[in-house]
Amino acid sequence: MSHEEGRYSVLGGAFPRETIVSIVLFFIAWELLSLAAPWLGIPPFAVPSLFRIAQSFTKITPIDVLVTLLRVLGALVVSFILGVMIAIGMYLSGSLERYLRPLIRILMAVPVVSWILFAVLWFRGVEFRILFVLVVVCAPVFVVDTLDSMRDVSRELRDMMRSFRPTSFQFFRKLMLPAILPGIFTSWKIALSLAIRVVTIAELVGAVTGIGHQLSVAQELFSVADVFAWTLVLVVLLFLLEGIIVRVEGRMLRWRT
Amino acid sequence: MAHMIEPAPILVSGLRKVFRQVATGQDIVAIDRLDIRFEPHEIIAIVGQTGCGKSTFFDLMIGLQSPTAGSISVGGKTPYGNFDDFRGRIATVFQQDRLLPWRSALDNARLPLELLGLSEDDQKKRALVWLERLRLQNFAGAYPHELSGGMRQRIAIARAFVVQPQILLADEAFGHLDEVTARELRETFVAMARETGATAILITHQLEEAIAVGDRIIVFGKAASVLADIRVANWPSSEHAALRDAIQVTLHGNETHPRLKAI
Repeated sequence: MSHEEGRYSVLGGAFPRETIVSIVLFFIAWELLSLAAPWLGIPPFAVPSLFRIAQSFTKITPIDVLVTLLRVLGALVVSFILGVMIAIGMYLSGSLERYLRPLIRILMAVPVVSWILFAVLWFRGVEFRILFVLVVVCAPVFVVDTLDSMRDVSRELRDMMRSFRPTSFQFFRKLMLPAILPGIFTSWKIALSLAIRVVTIAELVGAVTGIGHQLSVAQELFSVADVFAWTLVLVVLLFLLEGIIVRVEGRMLRWRT
Repeated sequence: MAHMIEPAPILVSGLRKVFRQVATGQDIVAIDRLDIRFEPHEIIAIVGQTGCGKSTFFDLMIGLQSPTAGSISVGGKTPYGNFDDFRGRIATVFQQDRLLPWRSALDNARLPLELLGLSEDDQKKRALVWLERLRLQNFAGAYPHELSGGMRQRIAIARAFVVQPQILLADEAFGHLDEVTARELRETFVAMARETGATAILITHQLEEAIAVGDRIIVFGKAASVLADIRVANWPSSEHAALRDAIQVTLHGNETHPRLKAI
């Protein structure tokens, strides 16, 4: 947890000098490798120069970025709502939890590729396939994290709250919701990085738009520069979205600072 | 809330609470047929050794648990059976402050009023009055982790008084504070309880605290058997040391000291 917090605080704030230096060093190493490729027997297309990669950036089509972004956000919202509802149901009903917990563990153990194959075999619509794969991967994260956060609310606080005789809604609104908020933010960060990685794989199958589709095209054209450029876009997208979550988290959990 | 009706006595009759131990399957009798009556506006200190059923009695009084047999009745209603009827009528100060860490001092203090559905303005005004009484007006915006243990317990006390309850319950509320803070807070608590006219039941293991606070001291023996029911007013302050010793002997021997029977 502390490791994760450290990681996100780095990403959420200004980039420290070490981060910039390591990125610059990586690019220098890449450029040197690109220049040395002919002498090392590496085909020139495998390690394109930074200039060639920069040229690929000019070919980035914003619509594909937008489509992937919307797919990720849409699936995360659906996963969140579904996950929190299931978690609340499991929290309220012990028997529901006993029945659902093993199923959720199984869902989490299934490889993403299997889900993609199932989606291709079961569903016709491409959008629905992508949504299905993302939700089936991300929703369990929200279920487990939300349920664990609810269980972590101490009996002392629950008894204190109950002693003032709140309605069920007040109990949830005034105690449970704020108490589980840190856990919800953590699950958003985990689910986001999962979704960004999974969406590209899902888009490889059948989609005609999106970053995953463009990666597939780049692969067909043997264009490592294009793959590099699209991958960088994906990474930047992930960092931006994480940054937004960290900002919102910082505002909503001000009391922790 | 300022109550319009005259508060009723608290009648505890034939109260019994039995727990089943999960590991052994054995029944543990926490309270065995307790009969007692608390008059309105009284301040009662309950003392007893660890495991004598004090905390179980406390939970039953709050209404968080139901008895195995017998009842606690206030004006014909029970805190556990008629749970919602006691909204705004019972308030509790726990051993630990149990403040919500994401709320400021003011927001913690006004929590019970929020649950009663008062307007936000009203909530804040009333909560500030009690925070001022407890000398916390300058810390209204502070979060619990920014405050000392004594300050946090003051907020917990303000949170209890803010509804002006008919029944105030305190479970070892000052036990974890240093002696000076505890004494000061105890005196403030008693003064405020008298002002509001609440029936206050304090559970404590500190005899000095019980003698300093209570109109009555109830000494619990095993399974909450009443070993002594002492009217502190019958003991002049010059006799308080003797009273303390008599309670101590009673607690250790689980048998009523002759001096406590005599008065």
